[in-house]
Amino acid sequence: MGSVALANTLAAQMPSAGAPSIAASRFHAPPKAKRVIQLFMNGGPFQCDLFDPKPQIAKYEGDRPEAVDLRTERKTAGLRASPFRFQPRGESGVPVSELLPQLGGCIDDICVLRSVHTENPNHGPALLLMNNGTILPTRPSMGAWLSYGLGTENESLPSFVVLCPGRPVRFSILWTSAFLPAEHQGTYINHSHPEPDKLIPFLRNKTHSMEQQQRQLELMSRLNRRHREQRGGDQQLDARIRSMETAFRMQFAATEAFDLNRESKSVREAYGEGHFSNGCLLARRLVERGVRFVQVYYGNGQPWDTHHTHDDRCRKLCLDADRPMAALLTDLKRRGLLEDTLVIWGGEFGRTPTTDTSEGGKGGRDHNHYGFTMWLAGGGVRGGMTYGETDDFGFKAVENPVPLPDLHATILHQLGLNHERLTYRYAGRDFRLTDVSGRVLNDIIA
Amino acid sequence: MKQARHGNRRLTVVGAAVAMALATAAEMTATAQEEPAEPVRVEFRRDIRPLLSDKCFRCHGPDGERESELRLDQEASAKAVSDGEAAIVPSDPERSVLIRRIVSDDPDERMPPPDSGSELSPAEIALVRRWIAEGASWSEHWAFAPLLEGLVPQEPSSWASGPIDRFVKEKRTMAGLEPSPVADRQTLIRRLAFDLTGLPPSSQDVEQFIGDAQPEAWERLVGRYLDSPAFGDRWGRVWLDLARYTDTTAEWLEHTGQAWLYRDWVIAACNEDLPYDRFVRLQLAADAMPDAEIADLPALGFLGLSPTYWKELRLAPDLVQRIVADEWDERIDAVSRTFLGLTVSCARCHDHKFDPITSEDYYALAGVFASSQLSNRLLLPAEEAARVKQARGEMRQLEEQLKKLGKDDPEGRQPIEQQIAGLRESTPHFDALSAHVIEDSSIYVSANGPDLTKLEYREGEARDLPMFVRGNPANPGPVVERHFLAALSPDEPRRLQHGSGRRDFADALFDEARNLTARVIVNRIWEQHFGAGLVRTPSDLGSQGDPPSHPELLDFLAGELIRHNWSLKWLHRQIVLSATYQQSSRSRKPCEAIDPKNRLLWRMNRRRLEIEMLRDAMLSAAGNLDRQRGGAAFDLGDDSQHRRTVYGQVARRDVNQVLRLYDFPEPTSHSPHRVHTTTPLQQLYLLNAPFVQQQADSLAAQLAPLTTTEDRIHRAYRRLFSREPDGPEIAVGLEFLSSGSAEASVLADYVHALLGLNEFLYVD
Repeated sequence: MGSVALANTLAAQMPSAGAPSIAASRFHAPPKAKRVIQLFMNGGPFQCDLFDPKPQIAKYEGDRPEAVDLRTERKTAGLRASPFRFQPRGESGVPVSELLPQLGGCIDDICVLRSVHTENPNHGPALLLMNNGTILPTRPSMGAWLSYGLGTENESLPSFVVLCPGRPVRFSILWTSAFLPAEHQGTYINHSHPEPDKLIPFLRNKTHSMEQQQRQLELMSRLNRRHREQRGGDQQLDARIRSMETAFRMQFAATEAFDLNRESKSVREAYGEGHFSNGCLLARRLVERGVRFVQVYYGNGQPWDTHHTHDDRCRKLCLDADRPMAALLTDLKRRGLLEDTLVIWGGEFGRTPTTDTSEGGKGGRDHNHYGFTMWLAGGGVRGGMTYGETDDFGFKAVENPVPLPDLHATILHQLGLNHERLTYRYAGRDFRLTDVSGRVLNDIIA
Repeated sequence: MKQARHGNRRLTVVGAAVAMALATAAEMTATAQEEPAEPVRVEFRRDIRPLLSDKCFRCHGPDGERESELRLDQEASAKAVSDGEAAIVPSDPERSVLIRRIVSDDPDERMPPPDSGSELSPAEIALVRRWIAEGASWSEHWAFAPLLEGLVPQEPSSWASGPIDRFVKEKRTMAGLEPSPVADRQTLIRRLAFDLTGLPPSSQDVEQFIGDAQPEAWERLVGRYLDSPAFGDRWGRVWLDLARYTDTTAEWLEHTGQAWLYRDWVIAACNEDLPYDRFVRLQLAADAMPDAEIADLPALGFLGLSPTYWKELRLAPDLVQRIVADEWDERIDAVSRTFLGLTVSCARCHDHKFDPITSEDYYALAGVFASSQLSNRLLLPAEEAARVKQARGEMRQLEEQLKKLGKDDPEGRQPIEQQIAGLRESTPHFDALSAHVIEDSSIYVSANGPDLTKLEYREGEARDLPMFVRGNPANPGPVVERHFLAALSPDEPRRLQHGSGRRDFADALFDEARNLTARVIVNRIWEQHFGAGLVRTPSDLGSQGDPPSHPELLDFLAGELIRHNWSLKWLHRQIVLSATYQQSSRSRKPCEAIDPKNRLLWRMNRRRLEIEMLRDAMLSAAGNLDRQRGGAAFDLGDDSQHRRTVYGQVARRDVNQVLRLYDFPEPTSHSPHRVHTTTPLQQLYLLNAPFVQQQADSLAAQLAPLTTTEDRIHRAYRRLFSREPDGPEIAVGLEFLSSGSAEASVLADYVHALLGLNEFLYVD
């Protein structure tokens, strides 16, 4: 590639504009969504504070009826009421907690899944189940599967990006490519660094000007072409030559994509300040540029893990999270991106309606894998509805329960992938994200 | 218990188009994907056995529910004639009762019974019909069969002298392919140096080899590289991939062991050419071998550094038991794939659908791992070790006392500090190292009151496990005595009864299973030399794996390896001395059309350097390589560290980002081989990493004092590519170096760009 071509590429402000989808032929069905943003409330929020009102908890406060005598990670005692009120919101009238006033305004675009359940009430295994579909730390993550199945829409950016201001528990195993080729692993970015060039390893050269690098690239290009011709051609040599050129462009494309200062003041204000706000805004910038899957972890460690002083902490967390979540949905919609961008919200599990006694009973709630809420928006999913129910106390999924493989199958389905056919042969068998189960939730598809 | 569905090969037979439609970006870029070849004819183990297992074995199989005499898991029973009829009449589907029953319209006649919910699809029926029409062969899968020996082609040949070349020539000629000419000497020495030592050849080596016209020059070079300590640095790492080696263990384990002792043991074993049988036995059971020495104990790191999963004791016992069983499964997987090239782990929930491995075999092996626990062991004789342990215990107590006293009480502290110093002085080997090992001790999971779970260890005791029905520990079946895989045992399977049974297992690998064991290691070493194995699925030689391109050659080498006392250096020597190995890698269109994947070895494969070689080559070209070997791992993130990459730290849960970028395998489980990808992120590293820039600056500084620019170009080519530049290359270099501003920085830019060339990254 000569300098003219490079200059042209550099002139293009939107890198995705010139990059055709190389993935189209791999769909199993026409896709409704082209990209995914997952807002991961790591630690596990309490469903009955936010989307699943259960007046019976207050009525029987302090009691421990048989229905809630369930074993979780720690010991819990009697029922503990949620102090937060609900109101029907939007045209659909789906109830949303007072803790999420702004997100409530978007409820007509949101499908609330009230009956998700998983297999293990311990953070590590539950994070693995949500991300990798299994407790074993040896299987690819959902993002890696999506990258493998769909490829990238922008060769100047990674196809799977994980944003976290710090490190979630279990760390890189949550975005591993495991036995899939390494290019599909998530690119983890600690976005508490504000400078874009710290986000991708070795993104910028500290000592060389662009002109200097361009001269180097031209030298490489000449010598590589000669080397290749002397060898009678070789696809792997060609691929490396192209890859070097892409890398050169990526320095500028990625820097641009990660630079929040390029957003207008009004957009910055809409999202608000803080790591989670920045994460949501970065997610929009990335999917807009063709990144397939962006995962935004709410915070370092497990911020939603409220074993004590639950109500206060929950109030603070929601105060911080409400605005950027609503801004993200509104912004995506305004740009026409929501219809083919699937937004997923939830933790690795929910919390118990009963009091956690493990830390001296200081107003906490334990992990609850029996039933909890997640929501989906955009990407061909019906808005303004709830699906499934937990029991009277919001503990266990009882109506239309949604095991995680069903959720995974549905996400893949919206992206045009059949979860039974997205397989990879390894160690003597065909592996898939949904293992041996999974059922698409047809009732929630628009 | 959830377990992934086994690959359904039948689908590929009846609908290859479906498989084609699933081709992905991954398959386009991955060069070493585990991909089985398209089936030509119906194969019993691959296509039919799984079908019968799924649909028929419940009543006509090894389990108890039989209502009929007919056994479809046994050839004799399936083909037995009774009353003039047989379930299967080879080559005659219409006369086979099996076919009549599976297509019957009569619900009383129809098999499987309509209410069983396991009826065969029309495609499956067609497949069974085809298999019977093709002769209903029950033949033994190649990897379980005795070695094919005595088949070395005898035809004299000018191209090739050794047996390897004769085998290769035979297949190649049949396909109408001509061999490639011998590569030039510069190419040969660079290839051999990376291959045997992981490093580029030194300038002196190149000069000497090119100037040595004697026919034995190659053999001498091979001998020298095989004897170089760098050989172990390169080949040890190959083994460490299989062993999922890590320098750091999970935070919930005691951190007293030094993981690198295992790494160094493996490297030393490669250098000493420890016979492969002893190499393996020590790794599985050094603690149980009377002739093993203390210095051999680190070998147990293969198992002693196994991944561990967090066992939350606040969870219910069945959840914890499942996690413990997941750990056993990981060990079974690592051991069976590494040593036997078999995916035994597939038999956790049900009999292996494709290979003759039963669930009973699985739990017979799981018992071995339920009887072996991870531990640390001081590398001292027992008595001294006991003394050191006691002294360390006392010291810990004294240190506790110091902590309580705080820093402001020098008078109170002094006598305690003296005691500590005294303990250190009076205890010989107080600072002795301890290795990650495995020891005989069985684990039991049980309830601890109503809310907790406990783990109980019984030291020195072994246990047999019940089979877990469908892999579910909450649903135990009959107890299985620990024993070796039945399919690899000519008679009653060997019982794994001494201690945990690890040593018996190792013995079986080199006795009844030795043909398979030898095939597996021969194929792995072949793959490293050629960039592709004779079998392209090196950790799956089962019927789902890839069949060998040259079965007779593989078996010949396996047999010879056994006869040469399992000497791996013998094997390396045979391979690199062959004419096949010395061919040029240049492609030729007519051959490309016949055999695009070069399975028949009509040329050498061009290979990309692995990350260890790439980093070491940069250091070496810059003259910065620190050859200090062994010991604690260094931080790969520290650019001032210039030791070989194999000594850099591998953290299981947080692999260094440069290693990750370049396809270093996840050390969470066994890696059969590296899958090479080409991504822009890799190139960003070469363009922008300060480490790369430093190496370029370093070499540039050494070139600067040379008199002419042309001299600098010549020296740069020798250092980077082990050859002289030609006219056009000099011209391009002169052009680059004469323009631009500051001389020193232009020279560094030049070297930096050369480091990014394909010629640096690929070996012809």
